Amino acid sequence: MSALTSTLRRRLSTLVAVAGLGVLAGCSGVTYAETQLPATTAPKPSSSAPAVAAPTCTNATQSYDPLPSLPSRGEITDASMRKIISKGYVTVGVSADTYLFGARDPFSGGIQGFDIDMARAVAKAIFGDPGKLQLRVITAGDRIPLLQDREVDMVARNMTMTCARWKDIGFSAEYYRSGQKVLVSKALPGAADLALTDLEGRRVCAPAGTTSLTKLQQVKGPVVVTAGTHTGCLVLLQQGKADAITGDDTVLAGLAAQDPNTVITSAKPITVEPYGLGLNRSDVYLARYVNRVIADLEADGEWKAIYNRWLAEPLGPAPAPPTPVYGR
Amino acid sequence: MSAPTTNIPVAIPAGASSGAPAGQANRTPRTIAGSIPGARGVAERLLHGTPGRMRLFGLLGVIAAVLLGGVSANALLASQSAVERAANNSAQVVRVQSIHVDLLRADAVATNAFLVGGLESADSRARYEGAMARVASGIAAAAAAQPADGKALGVLAERVQTYAALVEQARSNNRLGLPVGAQYLTQASTGLRADAIPIVAQVVKANEERARMEFERSNSTVQLLIGVVSLIGLVALAVWLAKRTHRYLNPSLTGAIALLLVALFVTATVITGISTATRDVSRGDYERAVALANVTTAGNDARANESLTLIKRGSGAANEAAWKTNRTAVDAGLAKTDQSAELTRSWQAYVDAHVKVRSLDNGGRWDDAVKLSTSTAPGGAATTFDAFDVAVTQDRDQAATTTVATLKDLGGSAPLVAFIVALAALAASWLIVRGVGQRIEEYR
Repeated sequence: MSALTSTLRRRLSTLVAVAGLGVLAGCSGVTYAETQLPATTAPKPSSSAPAVAAPTCTNATQSYDPLPSLPSRGEITDASMRKIISKGYVTVGVSADTYLFGARDPFSGGIQGFDIDMARAVAKAIFGDPGKLQLRVITAGDRIPLLQDREVDMVARNMTMTCARWKDIGFSAEYYRSGQKVLVSKALPGAADLALTDLEGRRVCAPAGTTSLTKLQQVKGPVVVTAGTHTGCLVLLQQGKADAITGDDTVLAGLAAQDPNTVITSAKPITVEPYGLGLNRSDVYLARYVNRVIADLEADGEWKAIYNRWLAEPLGPAPAPPTPVYGR
Repeated sequence: MSAPTTNIPVAIPAGASSGAPAGQANRTPRTIAGSIPGARGVAERLLHGTPGRMRLFGLLGVIAAVLLGGVSANALLASQSAVERAANNSAQVVRVQSIHVDLLRADAVATNAFLVGGLESADSRARYEGAMARVASGIAAAAAAQPADGKALGVLAERVQTYAALVEQARSNNRLGLPVGAQYLTQASTGLRADAIPIVAQVVKANEERARMEFERSNSTVQLLIGVVSLIGLVALAVWLAKRTHRYLNPSLTGAIALLLVALFVTATVITGISTATRDVSRGDYERAVALANVTTAGNDARANESLTLIKRGSGAANEAAWKTNRTAVDAGLAKTDQSAELTRSWQAYVDAHVKVRSLDNGGRWDDAVKLSTSTAPGGAATTFDAFDVAVTQDRDQAATTTVATLKDLGGSAPLVAFIVALAALAASWLIVRGVGQRIEEYR
């Protein structure tokens, strides 16, 4: 009996010890699989659509004849203009980050610049109040679709008049003449004199949907980088993701003013960029009206005043305004 | 968890024959000398004949009792630790959701401050910094709390740093009056949503999954089936013994069975209680905390999207669409949580303000739209949104705290019960030994 009980007892204690271990095992030892990172979508290849062979013509700057004089609001019967008048303001597609041409003033929150003043002049002519504007900030690539869809009445956003664009939209007469130049980081050797052709293997940025990009793609050597806007290009440059930016000298002046580590090279402009106000293709009457406004601005010295207000500092005093070409 | 069962064979004496060769042999008197040949001889002698079978079955009975005790105690402790892990995982969900909320809150403040133009107010700067500080400490706390999240949170920390750097670049450029500032801000906001938020969402999802798993694991009654089988074995032993000895009641053995039955019942009751209470929490406060956190994030995202829509001046259609998605998310989240009438009212007040902001902007009155969007006057978008944000955050924090506290309390009594059950099993073992021993004695 005692032998049995002692045997059993011994067995029992072993069992209890083993069971105890099992219990301990039950308490601990849950480890989780490592949290997975979300699958990263492969970065989109920088979409630089192949350069389309631009249709050529000789009258890219030719617009419609201006109205003989500005009619009063009541006299206007054109359907498109009546719509604007009954709406009470002109919807204008502008840039908010093209320093000096159309840029948001961080202090007032308002958008201002040379292009904005042109739009204000149109609003003033129609409504007698330059503030009757709805400024709609758009990217360069938005300009033509928004005009075609009548989302905006007018585009005042350093827009180059080209033969290709004339097929899709209308333009006012030329109100500013610019040219495409290059802005580079001062860190590049011989920065001040570099031309696009010297930038072989360097990353050069231009905004998508611009003539600057088309031109850049035609130059052999540079690696093309695109961004939504010129300022987007400046950010890429500041972040070391681009070495140079190409664009209209006026735009580049605005970028250079924001970053003292960059310089606009002395290389000759590779293009001539006549700026026009973009309009819907069928708004011929509006184009003639706007051409009258521009002609009046140039005649009464207001154009020079606007130029000096924005561009005198970086580009020197106002030259003579571009000669408008009419008769389209 | 099932460790004890694997140890059964250990308890069976080595070389023990099944007890089958009972019968006629070995009628020689038991002598001391007979035990000399060694343990094997002893074992054979002990297991020989009906007393031998009694000994063997007695031993199996003890094993069954210990097994029942071990399994019960283990199930109790497992339930308790599962609830504890559920609490920890829920706490982690809450923690990471707070990071999500604060990131979007920071962005809402930063973008709205940008909208005002000029220098941001000291108040909004303080709110931005407060949110980012909470994000930083939240990431560290979350990484410490769940090592499995460590890698993801490391990447998140890096992305958040990028975001903060871009916001500061936007801010300093803005102070200089340079439009490139707006570009940096856009890049910051876009990057935040594209690179950082998905990681946060992933970590939340992983921890929700873990919490759910533990909620389910807290019901370990399945393990008790082994206990039930043990009990049936003991009853079979009692019946066999009764038949063999023609003595129907063995008080010790019956007592052991009763004791084990009670232990098993108590264990099952406690475990079911824990599991029911856990389920109540998971369907009550926990679900509410999660839903309200989602409401808060969607609300703050909506607010940032309102600002971004205005900043983009007419090209913010994508942001306004995002605002509408956010609104749907908030509405759905609020509908899911009961007792949220107050919240729904305050959210509606903000929605009304936003609709006015949009109609002003769409009507060409951008300046007035901005004024209303940043207005801290009664009815202004800033006032109504902040009121909603404060209220929903409060409610959510409360639900989260209750969840974690309730869960932490739930398993509290389990270790004590487990200890008592283990003691009961030992006592039962002793009773079995006594009861069987008594019969063996009588048989002789």
